[in-house]
Amino acid sequence: MFVHYIDLAWRSLRQTPMVTFLMILAIAIGIGVTMTTLSVCHMMSTDPIPHKSDRLFAVQMQTMDDGETWRTDDDIPYQLTYPDAINLAALPGDFARAAMIRSGFSVHLNTARSKPFIENARLTGRDFFSMFDLTFIHGGAWTEAQSRDAAPVVVIDEEMAQQLFGKTDVVGESLFLGERRQEIVGVTQKWRPTIKFYDLNNGSFGKAERLFVPFSHVKAYDVDTWGNTNGWKFEETRDFNDKMNSEMLWIQFWVQLDTPQQRQAFGDMLMAYMQQQQNQGRFNRDTLEYSLQDVNAWMNYNDVISEDNKILVGLSFMFLAVCVANILGLLLAKFMRRAADVGVRRALGASKRQVFYQHLVEVGLLGLLGGSLGVLFAQLGLLGVRQTYNYYESLANMDWVMLLSAPAIAISACILAGLYPAWLVCRTTPATHLKVQ
Amino acid sequence: MFELKPTINALMRSKLGAVLLILQLAITLAIVSNAVSIIQDRMTYLNKETGYPEDDIFKFNSLNFDKQLDLLQQVELDEQSLRGITGVIDAVAISSVPLSGSGSSGAMQLKPEPQESKRSTMGYVTGDEHILNTLGLSVSEGRDFNEADVVVIDESDARPSVVIVSRALSDELFGAGNGLGETIYWGADPLSIIGIVETMANQWPKSSFGEKAAIIPMIRVGNFQKYLVRTAPGARAQVMRQIEELMLSSHRDRVVSDITGLDQKKARYDAKDVLMMRMLMTLIVVLVVVTALGIFGLSTFNISKRTKQIGTRRALGARKSAIVRYFVVENALICTVGLMLGSAAAVLLGQKLMQWYSVPALGYSFIVVTASLLLVMSLLSVLMPALRAANISPSIATRSV
Repeated sequence: MFVHYIDLAWRSLRQTPMVTFLMILAIAIGIGVTMTTLSVCHMMSTDPIPHKSDRLFAVQMQTMDDGETWRTDDDIPYQLTYPDAINLAALPGDFARAAMIRSGFSVHLNTARSKPFIENARLTGRDFFSMFDLTFIHGGAWTEAQSRDAAPVVVIDEEMAQQLFGKTDVVGESLFLGERRQEIVGVTQKWRPTIKFYDLNNGSFGKAERLFVPFSHVKAYDVDTWGNTNGWKFEETRDFNDKMNSEMLWIQFWVQLDTPQQRQAFGDMLMAYMQQQQNQGRFNRDTLEYSLQDVNAWMNYNDVISEDNKILVGLSFMFLAVCVANILGLLLAKFMRRAADVGVRRALGASKRQVFYQHLVEVGLLGLLGGSLGVLFAQLGLLGVRQTYNYYESLANMDWVMLLSAPAIAISACILAGLYPAWLVCRTTPATHLKVQ
Repeated sequence: MFELKPTINALMRSKLGAVLLILQLAITLAIVSNAVSIIQDRMTYLNKETGYPEDDIFKFNSLNFDKQLDLLQQVELDEQSLRGITGVIDAVAISSVPLSGSGSSGAMQLKPEPQESKRSTMGYVTGDEHILNTLGLSVSEGRDFNEADVVVIDESDARPSVVIVSRALSDELFGAGNGLGETIYWGADPLSIIGIVETMANQWPKSSFGEKAAIIPMIRVGNFQKYLVRTAPGARAQVMRQIEELMLSSHRDRVVSDITGLDQKKARYDAKDVLMMRMLMTLIVVLVVVTALGIFGLSTFNISKRTKQIGTRRALGARKSAIVRYFVVENALICTVGLMLGSAAAVLLGQKLMQWYSVPALGYSFIVVTASLLLVMSLLSVLMPALRAANISPSIATRSV
């Protein structure tokens, strides 16, 4: 029966090519616009590390004196001070943790042929790789001892290994960061999360680093951040040592806590640490505060989806509503003109339900055709987005979820538009139309 | 004379089509007027003067990695060789690049820290006495820096004592037109305002303090140094091509990167706004097209549904113009209701947008203009079907069906 209805629908659509074309065009444009904005939004809000996003936490501490405000909703700064980061990294307990900053170096091989280039680097702890799911193809992370001694070691990714050495198995080789020779201890698989969720301070859609250096190099070699440094009170900092000892906020800190017990224990430990610091004269405030936000909460808190995107998604759904109203009007006109045919069919024994069903199949088919064309329009739209704003390069794409949602939304919209006209048609009493004939 | 009553009567008998059109027009008006308002807001920002001859200025970075190098000496050497290139007007080692979205911001205030006083957030850049000329700026009041003003921050305790500020910053702190010769505090350091520049955007032109800028005559060297170069009009491209080689020839152990025009820096900073504008414009165009298609389609169907009545009217002596007028009046009626409803919806949507997001208040003129244009568009899209209806032959009335 379904196949028969599709056949009927197809004939009906071909009977009025002009109207059919208008309806398909309307739904296609509506879907095209909606999908363009929705896809960007969807990619921005997609969980970047779904199987453990609820176990990775960004650590924030309220380090400011009472009465000071910050630009976050809850007034808690995004980053930590250097002393706090060092102290948290040294806390006892069996949980993965990583203090980190973004920095950069001029990288070269110290040969006549190798031209130095600037490369972003992440200075972080050895747990970083396991926490954020980086896969080693050769070697591994630096050891605890190497980290403690600020040993001249680095981890690079396969792309950079290829670029420098023309091969990926380069463990044991050396590269130069500026004038410092560093040994490569591990090579990771290429890792490019679409959202740089672990460092939303320095552009949410920047590329992930390809070069990793132990965090202890910050102190050992005065490596400053290439990200934001925030201060909340005036402090005279004449050199890097002053900055490291100041209340300036410039270090990011993540922990992995697998169970609620671990979370509780870590929270207690943080609170105890803050109290201890308070006794030493810091954290000058009545109530001590910390915050642990998991990956999705963190992205939300940092407004990864910009206002512009939200406005556009809202407006495009309103636009889709206009398209649906448009189609509803056209369907109404079209179906009512066919009332006579329906009268005959009803007289010949078709039930109301069958007539209704038949018409819904017809609008469903419309939706499918319009939706497919709409996906094409959306691709054009996304192409335009990528060309205008290259930071969205990896975001302005449709993944499978979006590709399948497009016809689903199109069909639902069409069926929504078709319900009333179809109901009107199936209510037709056979007798009236037979009389006219 | 417009046969209003029969038109309304006929409309009331088949309400749904009219209701749908009204809804379409209302939503269209609400979206378009708000979108135009947002576009207009971004346009105003994008077209605003920054004060710099952006097309003649470019920047680049130099990352030195030779620990033995005397950085200060190298910076001076670099500046000299840059100023020596033919086509270059001036060059300077600068702390950060205006219009680029990154750099240093802070507060200037009337009393030294830690005292409480009136303060104003601003973006600042530092460099030597060539900085104003390289930026293509000139003071409208006071004087430019001279060599004696420039302070090198190293082991000594010297601090800068003078500053040049934008008009917006001095107006904010001292009231319109004042400021020259006054002292402001940067942290605990007093700075005397020796010059005021009329228009000068800082590193974040889009921010709420985008026009408040200060230039401090100070050099603090590091491994990572930014340079700014201004060339004669038209000479920039060929100067940019020589930069890397020139810099490496004076000192090899460094990386020269990000050789970028100031206009490109600004374009990158503004890319999100341009994207938003383009998307809104696309939305407006397709929305208007879809609504026009809707009106066109619905009128066509209405007319084919009423072919017989039209034929009868024509047979009874109605002129072609009367038929056209009937449909136009009908459409105008629907349109008026839709646009009235739409105006309310537009105001409501504008309020909601303003409440949730940082969107400017919707000016009522946007609604009026959009509504008028929609009315014209609506009449145009009904005209063709109406003219076709007028051509229906009276003889159609005599056929059955």
